[in-house]
Amino acid sequence: MSAATAARRRDAAPEAGPARGPSRGSAAHRALSYVVLVGFALLALGPVVTVVAEALSPERAADGTGLRPQNFADAWVQGRFGDYMATSALVALVVVVAATLLSIMSGYAFGTMEFRGREVLFYLFLLGIMVPTEVVVVPLFFDLRTLGLTDTVWGIALPQVAQSVAFGTYWMRAYFRTTNRSLIEAARLDGAGPHRVLWSVLVPIGRPAITTLVLLVFMWTWNEFLIPLVMAPAGRLRTAPLGLALFQGQYTQGTSLLAAGAVLVALPVVVVYLVLQRHFIRGMLEGAVRE
Amino acid sequence: MASTRSAAGRAVARAVGLGAAAALALTACAPGSGSDDGGTPPQPTGPVSTDVADAGDVTLTVWDQEVRGGQDEQITQLNAAFEEAYPNVTVERVSQSFDDLATTLRLALTGEDAPDVVQTNNARATMGQFVAAGQLVALDAYADAYGWRDRYPESVLQYSTYSEDGTVFGEGSLYGLPQVGEVVGVYYSRSALDELGLEVPQTWADFEAALQTAADAGRTPLLLGNIEGWPAGHVFGAVQGAHVDPAQIRDLGLGNAGASWTTPENLEALGQLQQWQEQGWFNEGVNGTDYDAAWQQLADGQGVFLVAGSWLAPDLQDAMGEDAGFFAPPPADGGELATTGGTGIPFSITTAAEEPDVAAAYIDFLTSDDAMQVLADTGNLPVVDTASYAPESGLLADVYTAFGDVSSQGALLPYLDYATPTFGETLNQTLQGLLAGELTPEQAADALEADYADFTSSGG
Amino acid sequence: MRGRAPRGRATPYLFVAPALAVYGAFLLYPLLRAVQFSFYDFDGLTVGTPVGLANYAAVLTDTGLRAAFGHALVLVVFFSLLPLAVGLVLAALLVRARVRGLPLFRTVVFLPQVIAMVVLAVAWRRIYAPDGTLNDLLRAVGLDALTRTWLGDYATALPAVGLIGTWVSTGLVTVLLMAGMARVPKELYEAASLDGASPARQLRVLTLPAIRPEIAVALTLTIISALKTFDLVYVTTGGGPGTSTTVPSYEVYRRAFELGEVGAAAAVGVVLTVLVFAVNLVVNRVADRQR
Repeated sequence: MSAATAARRRDAAPEAGPARGPSRGSAAHRALSYVVLVGFALLALGPVVTVVAEALSPERAADGTGLRPQNFADAWVQGRFGDYMATSALVALVVVVAATLLSIMSGYAFGTMEFRGREVLFYLFLLGIMVPTEVVVVPLFFDLRTLGLTDTVWGIALPQVAQSVAFGTYWMRAYFRTTNRSLIEAARLDGAGPHRVLWSVLVPIGRPAITTLVLLVFMWTWNEFLIPLVMAPAGRLRTAPLGLALFQGQYTQGTSLLAAGAVLVALPVVVVYLVLQRHFIRGMLEGAVRE
Repeated sequence: MASTRSAAGRAVARAVGLGAAAALALTACAPGSGSDDGGTPPQPTGPVSTDVADAGDVTLTVWDQEVRGGQDEQITQLNAAFEEAYPNVTVERVSQSFDDLATTLRLALTGEDAPDVVQTNNARATMGQFVAAGQLVALDAYADAYGWRDRYPESVLQYSTYSEDGTVFGEGSLYGLPQVGEVVGVYYSRSALDELGLEVPQTWADFEAALQTAADAGRTPLLLGNIEGWPAGHVFGAVQGAHVDPAQIRDLGLGNAGASWTTPENLEALGQLQQWQEQGWFNEGVNGTDYDAAWQQLADGQGVFLVAGSWLAPDLQDAMGEDAGFFAPPPADGGELATTGGTGIPFSITTAAEEPDVAAAYIDFLTSDDAMQVLADTGNLPVVDTASYAPESGLLADVYTAFGDVSSQGALLPYLDYATPTFGETLNQTLQGLLAGELTPEQAADALEADYADFTSSGG
Repeated sequence: MRGRAPRGRATPYLFVAPALAVYGAFLLYPLLRAVQFSFYDFDGLTVGTPVGLANYAAVLTDTGLRAAFGHALVLVVFFSLLPLAVGLVLAALLVRARVRGLPLFRTVVFLPQVIAMVVLAVAWRRIYAPDGTLNDLLRAVGLDALTRTWLGDYATALPAVGLIGTWVSTGLVTVLLMAGMARVPKELYEAASLDGASPARQLRVLTLPAIRPEIAVALTLTIISALKTFDLVYVTTGGGPGTSTTVPSYEVYRRAFELGEVGAAAAVGVVLTVLVFAVNLVVNRVADRQR
């Protein structure tokens, strides 16, 4: 994670566009660059296009030829993706709201206040960014089962809140450290307590950093596989990726509906990504230490 | 930046120290000691009730693996009929493939909120272990109340019978009831056989000759999708049935002492399977082909024969219509008709079920005469009085005939993965290795023998 | 004001407390419990018995587990080293080229990062299928001899799974490195060119030292994701053919929840965690020392 700290301190985010200055590169260099650019982009898109094309193709000859958007509706019903997506949305809502609020508060304390044990506590949080899910999920299952929390939204959400809080604390602390001290001082002189300073002054101007955090946590939670697999064994609460993995085994008639299901599961995050990609890329480059 | 890094290093060191200290503190409380039920779970001892209407509002959570066409149809119909007969009961169905059931059922049964009724494979790795762990209800009292022992022949029930500690297979209490019979046989395309000028083979040698003819004509003689690992076990079951004494196979399959995998007959069977692969008689890349892709290829005319279980019949009937046929793997010259088969995966009641009486009524409903008719109507093979439901023609008529012939004149052999708690995995890996040419038949036999002998010698 | 002073001292802790509570309960505590579990023979059903270091000894001696860790190392090559090598070349080429469309390029090559691994695995399983896209492509260009069942062949299954990781990582790594390279002043390259330094020498002497932080981030992220591969294997191969694609994360799940060897699973998880920590420390130490 310290490496990520280094990246965080990088002045220019990858916004850096085409280089200016004398073009020694010559036309050949530029042509080669375009070839690489296009080739690489095609390679990156290829599998995505393949699965979308498959999702739109008729399952069997009887379904006729040409595009078949009907597959999405069929997959939605047969694969019960409505239920799965609803579960995913609920879990994501809980994790995003809880992790964001808790991270803002703890990041605020670590970033703007002096207190005993600050360093140790902060590094304790950093540690959590590196801990693989695999190691905690085993005892979590047995302990949460004893508490009756398995097969509940909480059982799926709280472990993910904990993981996200580890990253979120690190991320929000970095933001609060860059905020202008005189702003905080001015608000204090106006008689604002620490809560008012946070929620009325710092949070509104920190929207970009918070948005990035919200997006990353949403993406991680939506895409998580192992925790919902283990924490909801009764099968009543299945998230979208888990539902897709099971649909792969369950659906025996071909591959088009499976591909359609895969597109459905990926769609929410991809749409948000396409709309807010700058936040995503910034967040992933500067702080994607969690994954 | 450098200071940040070394600080991170210190933090790791500190946290590791902290962790070690706390772990020591924790050892006072052993894992598992916190859970509420350490001892034997309650088994219904008093009189059982067959009255469902009086049970009040009940939600029954059922895990099944009835995902294929006709299977899905029958269970959907029967669930609806059950709910209609008992409006106070809601059936909450969770279905998943055989593979996913294998990876998730143990976890589900361990959970606090375990399902009430589950379809659990008869094997020692699954039903045997769940019985040993006290997760399944012994059904003997219900069998008496509902007369299940009259409904089912003992030969069927034995595969769902374990001793209370799960160590003895085939004797003891009843832990589940299957809905369907199963037989592994050979699907084929009638038109492909006609084109090749072939008849349905009557002996194993005929079958091999037919495969040779298909290969010579440039067709793919055999289709197999084995990415899951277990499908090859069914093909091998048919090959083994043609080479090895049925009594010997039964001991190997049930994990009883006294048999051996390293006999010349078993080596010959393993060798034949590998030879088929080496001769190019299977489709290319069997280990990378999906199980379902293989039957779809048969339907698309990409191959001639497919060795698989009767459960594929509804799907193939739908896809191929009159062109699909099925026969039991023919016996060797002078040998007995013998192939893998028996019963479908049984329905069991978990000890977590709050209303075991309702769960038992549900299982009774799924296996009643009316249910058998629904099974037959949806293209399945009812396990009770099978022959009486036989259709007159078509693929299903072939399947009924094969099942009837093997059960009455031959030997229906247990699935080989029943044998030991680890045998399913060992068999999958070994046959994948054999088909890939990674293992010689001798090495394959040694690997299987190691698992089997290890288990039988440990008194299992 | 005087009355508020004691409360003021508690303020930072109050802000940190909620985050710490969730984090401690659902991440730190399970981590310690995993360490504890690893010293027990525990089947998940009955009370465990202490076995000392036996579970760790098994990690060293059990051929199945050793193979799994070996496979993880192979995956590191595909997830991490290969993308780094490719990324270095591509980034060096692109960063100084005067080309349009870099933002669009970034959006595209980043896409695999935001799609759930389960979805990617479903897509790639189709691509690798015997009648899948890859074999179709090979046949179309007359390379029929190269077609095979990529996921079913002992020789190709692990590299095939690894290449999915290469595909996912390369975009991230390239964009990351480009951001670092954009920081190096153009004048340095011009001077070096005038001195007659070849492009390869420029890369080695000028670029590499400057982007060391980015390389460290890239290695850390990708090595950890290689070590933690779970959903990819769960969906594509399930560890097969034979045991040729088993990985530690999958062994944790399989042993804990399929085979009921919870103590052994915890030990594998702990070893995995130690590996992840070690990778982090080593990568960052090396990046520091060469500075």
